[in-house]
Amino acid sequence: MSVEFDRSIIGSEFDRTVFGPVTVENILEYIAVTGETEPPASPADLVAPPTFVVCVRGHRFMPKNVAGVRSGFDAGKDIEFGVPVRPGDVLTSVSTVHDIYEKTGRSGSMAFVVLRTVVTNQRGEQVAVVDQRMMFR
Amino acid sequence: MILDLHTHSDASEDSRAPVETYLKWLVRKRDVLPIDGIVLTEHRQWDPTKDYRRLEDQYGILILRGAEVETDYGHVLVYGVNDDITRRFDFADVRLSALELIPAVAHMGGIAVPCHPGRPTIGLCEHYTSKPPIDGVVAVEALNGGSRRGENERVQQLIDRYGYHAFGGSDSHLVSFIGICATEFDRDVHDVEALVQALRAGGYRPVDFRDGLKMSA
Repeated sequence: MSVEFDRSIIGSEFDRTVFGPVTVENILEYIAVTGETEPPASPADLVAPPTFVVCVRGHRFMPKNVAGVRSGFDAGKDIEFGVPVRPGDVLTSVSTVHDIYEKTGRSGSMAFVVLRTVVTNQRGEQVAVVDQRMMFR
Repeated sequence: MILDLHTHSDASEDSRAPVETYLKWLVRKRDVLPIDGIVLTEHRQWDPTKDYRRLEDQYGILILRGAEVETDYGHVLVYGVNDDITRRFDFADVRLSALELIPAVAHMGGIAVPCHPGRPTIGLCEHYTSKPPIDGVVAVEALNGGSRRGENERVQQLIDRYGYHAFGGSDSHLVSFIGICATEFDRDVHDVEALVQALRAGGYRPVDFRDGLKMSA
């Protein structure tokens, strides 16, 4: 492996962040920046677009114990959407190292770290599961 | 009989193609993609619990399974995977010894054949410039749907020199790539055991459907 990782960190939680309460203004701002031109629903009926969950960011992007890695880049993310986000919701994101694997390609060997962030609301309902892949070599 | 011997579904981390969507596409494109069956060769894994018989019955397309593993001579497709093979070789290991894998898989009832040999780093052609040839190689993937210009062309020299049989596969990771390259067999192949026997015996050739697909678009 060109980049050595301690596989024992798989499954370890490295960040827990509480976001919110989500405001009407948060949602309207997100809708505006996405270029949506349709007038939003009244505040009572307002629901955030599903991709709003990408605004929920933890305090730490990577666990401390992979800090020895010199460089990496975003290798894409998968998002599984759950219940919608509404004004007043308090969102909790919990990030863990979900997987570490290696592969070889035309340009040589690569190591991938999959960081999974599970976002839940104040009722414990799952809002989203975000799998962020980072590639290192 | 025509089979696409090299495909990846969303069980591989770099593919977004559900198996059923592959089948729907093949049914829809049957006039330009006359594929009788596909072989799922997921990257670095073997899941013995997968069962696609319901989909086979529903769509009338044969679904067989193998694996694509990574070795010190590049990537290799393994067909006829069984418990003996998975006990001996860790498919997640990207440094498997091809000199060990290829004869051992044959001994344990399967067949392991190098894929996309013309690619840099992960293809057999490059490794043969600095390492001895591998005993027991029967065939190579002479036509790979994911290869870049010049990569498939390099393989002919390998075939001419070592007398390997040639087969084809799409290496599809996206639905619209399924079946673009495949293998035409002179004999019927209806299960993995028959596929292993057929690949060992010869009597097949790569087929390329890309021109017909473009014309139909």
